[in-house]
Amino acid sequence: MMELRGLSKSYDGRSAIADLSLRVEDDEYLTLLGPSGSGKTTLLRLVAGLDLPEHGRISLNGQDITALPTYRRGLGFVQQNYALFPHMSVADNIAFGLRNRVESPVSDEQEVERRVAAMMDLVGLQGLGNRMVGQISGGQKQRVSLARTLITEPKVCLLDEPLGALDANLRERMTVELRNIRQSLGVTFFHVTGNESEALAMGDRMIVLDEGRAIQVAPPDEIFDRPATVRVAKFVNSYNILEGGVTDGVFVCGDLRLPVPDGGADTRYIAVRYDTPSFEAEGTDGAAGQAGLTATFLTSEFMGSRVVYFFRSEAGTVFEVERHLSRSDPETFTGGDRKRLGWPVSETLFFDGNGDRLVVTHARGAA
Amino acid sequence: MSLSETAGAKMADGGTEAPKQAFWVRNGHFLLLAPGVVWMILFLVIPLIMMVYVSFWTQTTFAIKSDLTTKSWVTFFASETYFGALLRTLRIWLTVLFFTLLIGYPTALFIGQFVRNKTVQTILLVACVIPFWTSFLIRVLAWRPMLGKEGAINIVLQKIGIISEPIEVLLFTELSVIIGMVQIYVVFMVGPIAFMLARIDESLIEAARDLGASAWTIFRKIIFPLSLPGVVVGAIFVSVMVLGEFATAAALSGRKVNLLGNIIVTQVGSLKWAFAAVVGVILTVVMAIVITTLLRVVNLRREL
Repeated sequence: MMELRGLSKSYDGRSAIADLSLRVEDDEYLTLLGPSGSGKTTLLRLVAGLDLPEHGRISLNGQDITALPTYRRGLGFVQQNYALFPHMSVADNIAFGLRNRVESPVSDEQEVERRVAAMMDLVGLQGLGNRMVGQISGGQKQRVSLARTLITEPKVCLLDEPLGALDANLRERMTVELRNIRQSLGVTFFHVTGNESEALAMGDRMIVLDEGRAIQVAPPDEIFDRPATVRVAKFVNSYNILEGGVTDGVFVCGDLRLPVPDGGADTRYIAVRYDTPSFEAEGTDGAAGQAGLTATFLTSEFMGSRVVYFFRSEAGTVFEVERHLSRSDPETFTGGDRKRLGWPVSETLFFDGNGDRLVVTHARGAA
Repeated sequence: MSLSETAGAKMADGGTEAPKQAFWVRNGHFLLLAPGVVWMILFLVIPLIMMVYVSFWTQTTFAIKSDLTTKSWVTFFASETYFGALLRTLRIWLTVLFFTLLIGYPTALFIGQFVRNKTVQTILLVACVIPFWTSFLIRVLAWRPMLGKEGAINIVLQKIGIISEPIEVLLFTELSVIIGMVQIYVVFMVGPIAFMLARIDESLIEAARDLGASAWTIFRKIIFPLSLPGVVVGAIFVSVMVLGEFATAAALSGRKVNLLGNIIVTQVGSLKWAFAAVVGVILTVVMAIVITTLLRVVNLRREL
């Protein structure tokens, strides 16, 4: 188990990590979602020992490793650009740590060969051992980089945007494989990414990092369903966010009026998930417990299993609606069509002026 | 449609004009080579052939005839003076190469790896070239008041009482030639090595460190192998210049140390063209062997 307590680090007076505390369990897949500039690279460098924090402690299984050099931390770091040694073959790259580490290097060449072969099998590089790293594809480089780190048996393996440089097809395959590799070794993966779908899909648990702070730590489904702050809702990229204020018990946003439940008096933001609204004819008045807005259809995007419709709402913002084709047939609109988009109030999220989610009670059975 | 496809289509038409036109479309770009090829043939290939040819001419005291003979070649290899000059040239070349590498590599390592600011890197490399702002002759001759019997080094050492008699071997010996050459040519070693070292991605070193390698292992297994192309390029620069040297040797040895270059100068001076050509051929062969060997050390095509 790795624990970060009160970590802070700033560069040139600008805070990159601010009072960050976090607990990383054994044998878990932890993803960290952070937009660029959120401090995720800094955090990784602190954990990996490539930089020293100004405040705070890092401990691994009870041992303080804050000031230990990288190689004595028992951590592995898979770099974003793979950082493969260009003058060595695939097998030599993978064997580098075993042969050359300061602590208990493996000098028995047969042992090295056996372990390299086993690792190459695990990550799917069979038969490529003699290739130079310039002769293999991006996906294979990714595997070499991973194998090179995993062969040293780290307790926690840090992955810096491991899928960032791969094309979409390969990315999806590696997603599954990374999880399988992790499970078969029982090692903890700490996967840092700026891609929300990657973070949601891969993690057993997920951290959302914003401006150097962990603003939510929870299983991905919880982060997706109940983002703790309006920023998290933005990062998961699945919510329409309306900004306004409550006057006389009604949320006002431009020309738009929306009902607010009990406890929502401080509402500043309302978040409506892309897949909650349903299409209703213009002029339909919402039943009790329903909210909605009238919007002008702009365009739609066919995504294979789903269709995304873009509308311009009364508030002037773009409003997205997503329809999964397994649940309903696509509807065709022409540009300029006016539609009423309705949704149950109980399916929306309310955030106050600080961006924190409000706990609201919905009047049940009012309808 | 590419050029060659156009050409192919015309050929298929079977017109009488078509094949001729197609030939120029396909091969016209070789014309770009013409000026270079003409130049190299006139001023490199023909002179080289002439040099080999002239080396077999018959040399008499006052004239040279085109009757073929191996007399000049026999003289070279039979003479203690001339064959000795070949060995001396090789010895001085190896010594200078060793010292330029010994002094140049750490300097390049500092500039390329420990100075992370590109501007500072450039400034430091330019600083290495500052001696070149004066003429070659001044740089060489400046060593005389430095190394001489009553030169700066001897005076200082005598003043602080380390020696009582001036050290005489400092000037007009092989040592002074080596000191002078190392100082002049070391920068040609620093430049290419620093360039290669600066290109090494910082993340490689971080990765190696993260995998548990010590600083010395990282240098041995990562940094040095990756800088090797720079070492080879630097060594080629230094070798080519040192092997053909004559001015430093003439100025700093008081004409006591004769290199192949000095022999060519004297022989040409006394109009012994055939003999000068022999030395020229030998020098060319030596350089060719040296460069080929150095290029074998690394596959430059792959590394650069």
